[in-house]
Amino acid sequence: MLVLLAVAAAMGLLLFAFATLFGKDPHQVPFGLKDKPAPDFTLTRLDTGETVKLSALRGRPLVLNFWASWCGPCQAEHPTLARAAKHFGGEASFFGVVFEDTPEEARKFARPMEPSFPQLIDPQSRMAVDYGVTGVPETYFIDAQGIIRDKFVGPLLDMQELASRLHALQQATGPVGASR
Amino acid sequence: MRGTLGYAFVLGGLLCAIFGAVVGIEGGLRRRPATRLWVERATTGFFLCMLGANLTMVWALVAHDFSVQYVSHVGSRSTPLVYTVVSLWSALEGSILFWGAILGVYLFAFARAQHDSRGRNVEMALGAMLGAATFFAFLIAGPANPFGPVSPVPPDGPGPNALLQNHILMVIHPPMLYCGYVGMTVPFGIAVAALLDGHLGEAWLNALRRWTLLAWTFLTVGIILGSWWAYAVLGWGGYWAWDPVENASFLPWLTATAFLHATMLQERRRVLTLWTMSLALASFALTVLGTFMTRSGIFNSVHSFTQSDIGPTFLVFLGVVVAVSIGLLAVRGPMLAPEDPLPGLASRETAILVNNLLFAALTFTILLGTVFPLVREAFFGVRVSVGAPYFNRMAIPLGIAVLFLMGVGPSLPWGRADAGTFQRQFLVPLAVGLAVLGGCLLAGLRGGAALTTFALGGFVATVTLRELFLPTFVRMREKGEKPWTSFARSAARARRRTGGYLVHLAVVLVFVAIAASQAYVQHTTGTLMPGQTLSLGGYTVRFTGLEEGADPHRRWVAARLDVTTPRGGHGTLAPRMNFYERSTDPVGSPAVASSAFDDLYLTLLAFNENGQGGSASFNMWTFPLVGWIWWSIPLFVLGALVAAWPKRRSVPVVSEGSTAAADAARGTA
Amino acid sequence: MSVLVLALLLSATPHAPQQAGSALLDPTREARVQALGKMLRCPMCQGLSIADSGSSAARAQMDRVRELVAEGKTDDEIRAYFVARYGEWALLEPPAHGVNWLVFLLPVALVLVGALVIGRLVRHSSVAQAAGAQPAPSPASADPYLDAVRAELKK
Repeated sequence: MLVLLAVAAAMGLLLFAFATLFGKDPHQVPFGLKDKPAPDFTLTRLDTGETVKLSALRGRPLVLNFWASWCGPCQAEHPTLARAAKHFGGEASFFGVVFEDTPEEARKFARPMEPSFPQLIDPQSRMAVDYGVTGVPETYFIDAQGIIRDKFVGPLLDMQELASRLHALQQATGPVGASR
Repeated sequence: MRGTLGYAFVLGGLLCAIFGAVVGIEGGLRRRPATRLWVERATTGFFLCMLGANLTMVWALVAHDFSVQYVSHVGSRSTPLVYTVVSLWSALEGSILFWGAILGVYLFAFARAQHDSRGRNVEMALGAMLGAATFFAFLIAGPANPFGPVSPVPPDGPGPNALLQNHILMVIHPPMLYCGYVGMTVPFGIAVAALLDGHLGEAWLNALRRWTLLAWTFLTVGIILGSWWAYAVLGWGGYWAWDPVENASFLPWLTATAFLHATMLQERRRVLTLWTMSLALASFALTVLGTFMTRSGIFNSVHSFTQSDIGPTFLVFLGVVVAVSIGLLAVRGPMLAPEDPLPGLASRETAILVNNLLFAALTFTILLGTVFPLVREAFFGVRVSVGAPYFNRMAIPLGIAVLFLMGVGPSLPWGRADAGTFQRQFLVPLAVGLAVLGGCLLAGLRGGAALTTFALGGFVATVTLRELFLPTFVRMREKGEKPWTSFARSAARARRRTGGYLVHLAVVLVFVAIAASQAYVQHTTGTLMPGQTLSLGGYTVRFTGLEEGADPHRRWVAARLDVTTPRGGHGTLAPRMNFYERSTDPVGSPAVASSAFDDLYLTLLAFNENGQGGSASFNMWTFPLVGWIWWSIPLFVLGALVAAWPKRRSVPVVSEGSTAAADAARGTA
Repeated sequence: MSVLVLALLLSATPHAPQQAGSALLDPTREARVQALGKMLRCPMCQGLSIADSGSSAARAQMDRVRELVAEGKTDDEIRAYFVARYGEWALLEPPAHGVNWLVFLLPVALVLVGALVIGRLVRHSSVAQAAGAQPAPSPASADPYLDAVRAELKK
């Protein structure tokens, strides 16, 4: 009898636990670097071969977009990001980072797109793993102090969504000018 | 039009189920004589309605009738016909509809089989099963209705999930698994009826065991085919990932296996009746839990369907099943349990108790590991993972203990072992086990778990073969019969014994194959230009070039390789990468060359079309003996058939008691 | 939904080579890489380890593990690196501390309690049996099993 009661109690707890989890996405991967300083990186640009260092980008919010040429959703979101880069280019820096791809393929991918924001080559995706990327596409929002405030997993297709995140980034840091 | 027709069938099924459940339970409890007729009619009605609904859906799928909601979700004009039919169970709503059809068949078959037996427990059992059927019919009619209308009607659909159309095994694996899952409804109904009745007779226990064995067989085949599918399709070189849904199918298998062993105790002595009933009830509850896991959208699993709103409904049903089971055990249980004393420590009875403990521990461990991340998240808000390293650490020792017991148990007599038992029964098998161990060591094999498994495998196989063939030899010697006649006759006299030992042999085979393929796997990886080779474990592959192509539903790139096997054979393999419009990462198709000794397993990791003929990167594995895991299926099925085949059509199940007596030939107690 | 539509519209199917993994280390250190990889969870798979998965993210992470091993980091440091990014979720076996102990100890407790129950059950009943009737007379022949088979034959 005692055993039955114990089993009943355990099952009750279990079912309760299940009930609290409805509506949560089990595939979402925890992100440990939120509100942490963005790891430094030194990467080369896909087009010019120039070196880009994170430390040199401080002082302006930064949008980092991870993508690959073999990723369909990345192609789908690219125009949105390109437009955003044009529109908000004065307020924030935009960079793309090539994930698990060869430079030739990445260039092939980038060429037909209108010249937009600079793309960086990340050999062996080392920097992507440093940033806790879980796949592509992912877009990181880093504030003027170099703190990762947010990341968006999946294709960013909605300009509004992007704008509001960028806005939140500026809110978090205060106006760009003030942080200087 | 088809949507309306299908939905009408579903509603009819729902009404039949509700009516039958109420009449069956109520009439049975009040002992109304007319009940049986009406319950049987309700069962037949449910069966026919579910059949009708499923046929309507298949018709709609084949006709590409995109005005039916489910068809618009999984159908596509470009999908090959066989996968179009299979898409009946490729997504949530269809799979539950299909579930309903199987349930209908089971209920109908049970009603037919019990048609001639008297007693109110048949009504109550059918009532309880129709109660479960009510839930599923409700799901199909409401939260998971596949027949809803679509407006405007789309010209084409997206087709079924990419992973599901990658391999032919997907055509047979899910139905087998569903037959196993759904089949547990019948033992559940029987157990509920026994508890309501407050009495578990010989015939009823027999029916309980038979139907469990049937479901168990389907479940066994389904699980093994599932592992085969994972191996042949997922391309990571494994066959069991301790994925929540794999675990979910394994859990009821474990409790059903424990149950089948516990019933051997049941028929000799009235011991642990409540425990045995709990196992039957738990097997059903665990199938419901497993289905919930697959379909609620709260588990992260390779098989899980997308987020859906049937989760809460399922949770309520799971709660009801658990509450009814525990309630019945608590309230009616004591009526079933006048217990006999157990014999001494070294007896078959004790071995079966230990067997049940081990299976219970395995069930508990795997259940705990599977739900722990959810419990952690629900109560502590922390996301943790419990994966293969944990399950291997916990389950391997228990599995080895089970294997050991498979040798010890059958060697012990019923009742009490005497001093001579050890010498008589264990000496030869132990010697064989040690010889196997010595042979492996001499052959240069190392590794504790694997060598233990091989040695125990030799020990268990010897015991099992002796138990299988000793009666045959005795007959041959004393009656002068031919070997085959003698075996057939001794097998026919003790079918369950024979069947059980055949299954034990299959289990040994699986154990050895798993141990060998895990411990002696070899792996390498490399990037090849055309003409270059890669070697591993005696196999050499030479990359000859890339090839691309398109099927209606996908595009693919294949790398062609010439293979030389260690035994001098030649062949070609072509691992592929498939690109589906709906998935970001390509889905790999491994290429496998199987032999009785080992499998060569190749996957395409990356490729580059630039340069002369391009280059390609491969993962290359060899898995010793791995094929024997799935080739054990015929032996499992043969054993189960021998054990479960009805004796004679006209004789009701009660006469099975004589088989039990034959089985008792072993004992002296 | 719009994702799907767009993906369908871009008829130029994603169809390009991916970067291959980094070169393997020497056997001893590579064995460490593989062992570590088996314990780390692939972020875009379903419960597979990064050593098992062939997905792009898993390959990237394996390369990073290899790099960290090559840099001379300890196993603990490498695990901590991944936990910092993906939480304890990244470990396929929960680290043994706090509530996590339950998942290791409860099964052991179950086996112990079960063994105790069986022991008591068996001892109890043997005592009851000894106190009651005599045990069944021991068979005449040396092998009771063969006797049973013969008895069965005579039926």
